[in-house]
Amino acid sequence: MARALAQFAGSLVRASTWRLALRGLGRQPRRSAVVLAAVAIGLGSLLLAMALQYGLVGQMAETAIRSEIGDLQVHASAWKDSAPLAERMPEAPSLAALDGAQTLIGVAPRLRGEALAQSPRASVGVRVIGVDPAREPSVTTLASLVQEGAWLGVQPRRALVGGGLARRLRTGVGDKIVLAVQDVRGDLTGEAFRIGGVLNPPTRELDESVVVLSLPDAQRLYGVAGEISELALAARDRAALEAPRAEAAAALGVGVRVETWREREPLLSMMIELFDQMGWVIYAAIFVAMAFGIANVLLMSVLERTREIGILLAIGMPPARMVAIVIAESAVLVMVGVALGFALGFGGIYALRDGIDLGVFGDGLRAYGMPTKLMPIARSGDVTAPLVVAGVTALIASLWPALRAVRTRPAEALRRA
Amino acid sequence: MPLIVRLAWRNIGRNKRRTSLTVAAAVFAVVLVVHMIALTSGMHDRMIEDNVRMHAGHLQLTGAGYLEDRTLERFVRWTPALAATVDSEPGVAAAAPRVNGFALLSNGPASQGVALLGVDPAREGGVSTWPARIVQGEFLDGEAREILLGERLAEALGARIGGEVLVYTVAYTLENAYELFRVRGLIRAPDPRLERSLALISLADAQALFAYDGRVSEVAMLVRDPARLEATRAALAADVAVHSTEPLDVNPWQRVMPELAQLIRIDDVQNYSMLAILVVVVAFGILNTILMSVLERQRELGVMLALGFAPRAIFRLVYIESLLLSGIGLAFGLVLALPAAAVMERHPVPITGDIQKMTETFGVTPVITWELTAWNPAIATSLMIAIALLAALYPAAKAASARPVDALRSL
Repeated sequence: MARALAQFAGSLVRASTWRLALRGLGRQPRRSAVVLAAVAIGLGSLLLAMALQYGLVGQMAETAIRSEIGDLQVHASAWKDSAPLAERMPEAPSLAALDGAQTLIGVAPRLRGEALAQSPRASVGVRVIGVDPAREPSVTTLASLVQEGAWLGVQPRRALVGGGLARRLRTGVGDKIVLAVQDVRGDLTGEAFRIGGVLNPPTRELDESVVVLSLPDAQRLYGVAGEISELALAARDRAALEAPRAEAAAALGVGVRVETWREREPLLSMMIELFDQMGWVIYAAIFVAMAFGIANVLLMSVLERTREIGILLAIGMPPARMVAIVIAESAVLVMVGVALGFALGFGGIYALRDGIDLGVFGDGLRAYGMPTKLMPIARSGDVTAPLVVAGVTALIASLWPALRAVRTRPAEALRRA
Repeated sequence: MPLIVRLAWRNIGRNKRRTSLTVAAAVFAVVLVVHMIALTSGMHDRMIEDNVRMHAGHLQLTGAGYLEDRTLERFVRWTPALAATVDSEPGVAAAAPRVNGFALLSNGPASQGVALLGVDPAREGGVSTWPARIVQGEFLDGEAREILLGERLAEALGARIGGEVLVYTVAYTLENAYELFRVRGLIRAPDPRLERSLALISLADAQALFAYDGRVSEVAMLVRDPARLEATRAALAADVAVHSTEPLDVNPWQRVMPELAQLIRIDDVQNYSMLAILVVVVAFGILNTILMSVLERQRELGVMLALGFAPRAIFRLVYIESLLLSGIGLAFGLVLALPAAAVMERHPVPITGDIQKMTETFGVTPVITWELTAWNPAIATSLMIAIALLAALYPAAKAASARPVDALRSL
């Protein structure tokens, strides 16, 4: 057995094995071409479909991170989403602590609260985000979402609202709204703001139920001068968030909690993981369907060569070598097919790099924070998953044909011709 | 059996190994297709039903244009005559009027902006699942100034059952309105974000608070037969128009929850693109088998042509072979897949762990449901026929164009 394995392994690295395999496939070029086409077209279209689907999920994460969350967020240890005003951090010392951080490229302080926004026509419950107009653009795209009017600047008492909220309040740029809030002492209070700009945010929540104020305005409104509820951070390297997390935690000391966007948005992160797992299932399903076709071709090729194989075995070729040849044939078919499939798939991804307009699906996508322009995004998994699955497929598909080949009885095979 | 079918049958029987591998691929495809369609339609139906029954209803009667801005300015006058019209509509199973407003709730130093919902305690249970979602205390029963809070909202406000919360809002008349409400019960909603910002009061209290005398924002309804939604919608729209002085809309759930309708459409597009790829791969397998069998039979086909077989008959012969291959695959596939899917249809599989939370956030019960309809085998069948027709095109043309002389000489 050990000897057979050694022969098998030895055969796989010999050039003559692969030459024989290629010759076997070349005998019926049309048949081999059909299998190649099946693998190539199947894999190519699958790659493109997966990249487009990931484009949907990935852009969704990107949108959420870029428009509001940031790569990392810092809160007081006891802070809760449900009571955003209850736990706060000092503004100036926190900023000073993080400004020299090597792993961060942006730090944006915020104050979060709840309010009832009232216009002369209607009233709507909203989330209030007080932002530092100068620092916010270093972390999020919020400033670039201004569709009408202007980003927060020097003028006090300006509010930015999403287009959806403006519509619900029946107001526009220049109109006054009143934000009624409960301040930090528990008193009901309120202040009038002029709408300085209307945003066109990518998510429905931001669009319909968020009011953005300048940080000093928000601090005055809630009665918490010099305090913030959150720091949103942009990391230098967004793929490795542990280093900036550690640096920020060390710089800020005890009493704060630094979280990555994955921890802040566990659902989003989970959806991406689920998607990755689904990817393997889908690649596997399509390759199983391909395996039948590959096995068929190999088996036919082995059966046609019964006489030749019989002679080879009769003159003393080790059966392990025969198995290696059939597996090599399978590997050549699959690998050439996969290479062509990659070319097709990535070619398609490249051709669609500018994105497909999803206007037909419209609002539904926005509500879930999905993009309305779909761009295919290929990831490393789109290379490794097909390669691994294809390798397994090549092996499995060649098992029956290989066994069949070594079971050929030389005497019978020779007699037959 | 006609001669040509017998010939085709014999031909695919000549190489049993090749035929069985090809049929196996077809069986695999059919099983995959049947289960995938059953799973997605099960999931979509559950998403729709769960969302419809949670709150929205199949149909919503609103003031014209209400869905655009959802303000108090657009309303329905909920008169006894209108109620009688809605209740006597044959397609409508239940109807519940609601007032939808916003308010700031506060309890001591804690405050929270909420969607404040005024519901008719006697009718609400017929349409939505709110009464069943009480986790502590009781549902509203018409007692004045009582309020139900989302569990997380109560936690954020530090409010307890029996305690009071202050509701502050702006009425229809644009005057500020304050009122103290006693907490009667806590509600658990599937979506944590919703639960954190939802409070229910009685319809009468809401109408008093918002100075909304006799008006409601929407009347949510369940229909008896969701398959006849559009017919019921049209009939109702015609009937209520008679009883109302203001223009009204009757909106189907697809308009009330466009996100859901579109999410389902996108999911369908994704699933069908996967099925299309699978079909192509299986079609290539059948193509190869038929093509090989045609190439091996060049001589035989040449003889047939020489004996006076029409090229069209040869073409048809190859087509029948292809249809037989995919037909056998289809038959075995359906026999394997349908009973399994039928069993699974009765035994939904609960989802646990992280994915459970995710489905709940989308307002969907965390179970995997199979749903079998006549559509399912019909789609599988048409896919397999499409595969057979596509796959045989080239081999059949090749066979029909065989030249008797060449074919005979080639031996």
